[in-house]
Amino acid sequence: MKILRVNMKEAGIRWETVPPDYEQLGGRALIAKLLLSEIPPACDALGPHNKLIFTPGLLGGAIVATAGRLSVGAKSPLTGGIKEANAGGTAGDALGKLAIKAIVVEEQPKNKEFYILELDVDTAKLIPADNSLRHIGTYATADRLQERYGADATVICIGQAGEYLMTGAGISTTGERDQRSNHAARGGLGAVMGSKGLKAVVIRKAVGKAIQLHDEELFRKAAKAYAQKLITDPKLGTKGSQHLYGTASIVGAVNEMGSLPTRNFSEGKFEHAAQLRGEKLRELVLAREGKVGTRCMPGCVIACRNLYPDESGKPIVGTVQYETIALVGSNLGLGNLDDVATLNYMCNDFGLDTIETGAALGVALEAGLAKFGDIEGIVGLLKQVGEGTVLGRVLGCGAVTTGKVLGIRRVPVALGQAMPGYDPRTLKGNGVTYATSPQGADHTAGNAFGARNEVPPLGTAGQKELSLRLQIIAAMLDSTGLCLFGRPPIIANPQLMIDMINGIYGWGWTKEDYDRFNRDVLRTELEFNRRAGITKTDYRIPEYMREEPLPPHNAVFDVPDSDLDSVFDAL
Amino acid sequence: MAVDIEVFGQLLPGRPRRCSVEIQGPTTARELANRIGLELSHIGLLSIDGVQSELDDPVSPNSRLCFFPYLAGG
Repeated sequence: MKILRVNMKEAGIRWETVPPDYEQLGGRALIAKLLLSEIPPACDALGPHNKLIFTPGLLGGAIVATAGRLSVGAKSPLTGGIKEANAGGTAGDALGKLAIKAIVVEEQPKNKEFYILELDVDTAKLIPADNSLRHIGTYATADRLQERYGADATVICIGQAGEYLMTGAGISTTGERDQRSNHAARGGLGAVMGSKGLKAVVIRKAVGKAIQLHDEELFRKAAKAYAQKLITDPKLGTKGSQHLYGTASIVGAVNEMGSLPTRNFSEGKFEHAAQLRGEKLRELVLAREGKVGTRCMPGCVIACRNLYPDESGKPIVGTVQYETIALVGSNLGLGNLDDVATLNYMCNDFGLDTIETGAALGVALEAGLAKFGDIEGIVGLLKQVGEGTVLGRVLGCGAVTTGKVLGIRRVPVALGQAMPGYDPRTLKGNGVTYATSPQGADHTAGNAFGARNEVPPLGTAGQKELSLRLQIIAAMLDSTGLCLFGRPPIIANPQLMIDMINGIYGWGWTKEDYDRFNRDVLRTELEFNRRAGITKTDYRIPEYMREEPLPPHNAVFDVPDSDLDSVFDAL
Repeated sequence: MAVDIEVFGQLLPGRPRRCSVEIQGPTTARELANRIGLELSHIGLLSIDGVQSELDDPVSPNSRLCFFPYLAGG
């Protein structure tokens, strides 16, 4: 395998063999090690010393079900700490097949020009982005580049939000056929890509390329057993909630338990939640001849996505997912999936994180810029992000900036990053994750929803142990390229993962090696953040959530600071 | 005295989304699931008055009981 270094100051490309320190790393694990080794942690996240990394997980290119995710990493301009965000689509698989362990984008262009990075088998080229690619959204960017490079080329790109260095900007990647839009959304990585002057990376399809397997029999046996476990899992198989109703399957349960962000996190239960449920989504999509059960990555057997059409059957967006429903739906007082789909499309096109933007809009509505539930008013606000107006730039920079500018104290963030669709006052395990993860408030860093028979979500006991366990699992998922939903078989039998890794690479990992690998990700990230100057108090849940009871349970976030401060004692 | 029951997702086909079940006194979620004909092995999560609960937890008259299939957060 090799690493591709792209120097934006010199517009230069350099291939290098993988240094021994990086050899047994991939995805989030590689990002953590590389950033700690190669950049000053206190650097300006949008300056020349930050590095932007694209890397598949350790299973990238091996066609393991659900394991083709692309990790993107850099120091985050939103949290000030380390960031890894990952996305489905075809990019992770494509890089793996090209035997590229990472693309590392360094420095900045001398002027403010933008470039396209073209990748093919054994070749890479940096070419200036012509004017037709400037100030346009991610859909048009992907369309134009696929016209040039072929419909089966993978396009990773930013929209206007990334070009304008908005700290709520994400990075979009194309997927199979109509699954146009997958996002490494969190932490403002789109702004880092914009700061590097990189509008897009295009990866031509590597026809006939496959990764080399060290022990084909060991790998195939484990990969097959893993896929079979996924298919028979009651949550994930073809009769499971994820496949039938998508991630929206949890709307009803999260709402019932009083954790659904509603009207800027001021309530935990939304009176129109039934209109946002997975059942409703499936009913509407099928009635309009859209699609459910589609997949974002080659070979995924869960297939949890959808292609959501309007009343006339014209596609609005693929796909409408839970976090977006929560943050731009109930959080904005909108009880209509068509409205959610419209806002979702706009965020995707501008290249914005729907979680960060939904939270920022919630803060803006509380400030009176429009009314909760007023879709025209909300669309009017969001349009300004694409237009680059002053207000649009404020909203595009996320919830903290919006709260400061508009004088709103109720800002649902931890470490500067907006909370996803689970209020921490009633799902306290997630609150512990938000308040301790080196990634900031991020459900994919350790999601406690549905942890049955373990720790009651409204109580404080056992939450720190639960969160740590989940954070270690999340580090494994993000470093191997596995989707969050593919975790149950690996949790039940980690040997499956160890055999797949040993089958590909021949490293002879034991369970102890695997466990140390996962824990080292968190240790390295925590050290990066410490050196960046982040203290324990920077991670905390906002004060108002400790004092303001959340209806209907009237719960506050009351996990003691001493528990939060000792989460990683057992790491 | 009754318990208001709602079922979600793939537990739904073949039965009404909501129903009211008469009870004489305290009972359990398991007993009520059996009474409305739910296959226990298909229940992934349940809540009693909005609180995540287990099958053998008590259900009081006038409670709201929700049954969900197996779900994954994210």
